[in-house]
Amino acid sequence: MSGTDIAFFLLALAAIAGAVMMLQLTNVVHMVLSLVMTFLAIAGLYVLLSAEFVAVVQVLIYSGAITIIMLFAIMLTRHHADDKERQTTGGVGHKAAAAFAVLAFGLAVYAGIRTLDFGADGSALPADNAKAIGQWLYSYYTIPFEIVSVLLLVALIGAIVLAKKDGKGAEDE
Amino acid sequence: MMEQWLESAPSWSNIALFFGLGALLLAVVLAFVTYSILAERKVMGFMQGRIGPNQVGGRFGLLQTVADVLKLLLKEDTIPKAADRPLYVLAPVIAFAPSFMVLAVVPFTDAFRFADLGVGLLYYIAVSGLTIVGVITGGWASNNKYALLGGMRAAAQMISYEIPLVMSALGVVLLAGSMNLVDIVNAQQDVWFLFAQPLAFLIFLIAAVAELNRTPFDLPEAESELVAGFHVEYSGFRWAFFMLAEYVYMFAMAALITVLFLGGWHPVAFLGWIPGAVWFALKFCAVVFVFIWFRATFPRVRADQLMEFAWKVLLPLSLANIVLTAVVKAWFF
Repeated sequence: MSGTDIAFFLLALAAIAGAVMMLQLTNVVHMVLSLVMTFLAIAGLYVLLSAEFVAVVQVLIYSGAITIIMLFAIMLTRHHADDKERQTTGGVGHKAAAAFAVLAFGLAVYAGIRTLDFGADGSALPADNAKAIGQWLYSYYTIPFEIVSVLLLVALIGAIVLAKKDGKGAEDE
Repeated sequence: MMEQWLESAPSWSNIALFFGLGALLLAVVLAFVTYSILAERKVMGFMQGRIGPNQVGGRFGLLQTVADVLKLLLKEDTIPKAADRPLYVLAPVIAFAPSFMVLAVVPFTDAFRFADLGVGLLYYIAVSGLTIVGVITGGWASNNKYALLGGMRAAAQMISYEIPLVMSALGVVLLAGSMNLVDIVNAQQDVWFLFAQPLAFLIFLIAAVAELNRTPFDLPEAESELVAGFHVEYSGFRWAFFMLAEYVYMFAMAALITVLFLGGWHPVAFLGWIPGAVWFALKFCAVVFVFIWFRATFPRVRADQLMEFAWKVLLPLSLANIVLTAVVKAWFF
């Protein structure tokens, strides 16, 4: 077992553990933090695939995004530290069905990816992959890139328009 | 020498070596933090017509910070009853770890550097953004309204100022043609980017002070309105970790400004016989001094001024700088 394998298993474990915790925890801030763990572990996996640029961008985008999610989680949800969360537990039948579904899903995915060929390994990627991505983006994929930027612009303007209307309505009241 | 180690095959001795080097850097950083706090107090004292620490450790108070840290470590570690215990304990760690991680990509001299990353600059910005998660976690987990307000302010401020920070650094990236910090330093062999990118330097310096939560942008810790900010409830060792993260970021940011704008280890004109490490240290100390100088001379801005300044002044200016740099580079190079 090489160092890469060990790193892969640790990171994969961290990613899955974060995801499971995210589903299992009841406090919304705890959930957001387990999401951080998952995203960071996935960034680590990108590094293992020698996609440094994607890894760094993953951290860059999600660290900001997660902070915002956290702010919204704090501001928009009720927070009572001593509130006992309602536990919804199904009967034995429900649990058995859930376990069966999870197992079946796991087996199906395993059967699907067991013989999957990912092609050449990541080390064949150009060492300067930020540059390579930039060149592809601005030559071969120019039109999709521009369309995405227009889409984002539309979303941005839409958000501003919506927020502005809200403000006026509030003033009238 | 460092280069050979980085490219050698992995083995246990390698792990030990890298661990040792990392520990060495940590020791250097801790020494820096100890004496930068002393320097801060001394310089501020000088600027305010006071003497500053002069009792512990001789005339210059050389052991003052050591004594302070010792006191901190001996303090009772309090955890409020209503606090969210696991997150309260975890927050200082989340805040501190990235501050030391960013140092991995900073090239101190052409021989002494840890990682030669193609996306070094982006790595720095990305990882330093993680600290804010720790700060807001600490603010929330304390279950204290002032702490939460401080955390919220920190989040808003750091996200807003990260954008002009990156945008102004883009001008440097355009001129150097690389995000690798070593390549950026090498591109400044003849002309420092301070002179090629004066506007970017100004914007970067302002945004850097804001990212460091230092006066005039220290709203997250505005003691006159928030008692102490996001770390109101913290004491002893955990509080020390938040402070440590802050000063390690000061170290990292001063090093980054040196690398991006002041030519890193490159000497001035004909003084090439002085080794690169000394040049780096000199420029680095100058940047740290400027930070302390700012703290002693600027009043704190208001929250609305802070946001307006980032979005309405710094961001358009940095965008204009990018366009200008691109035009200049396309026509004259």
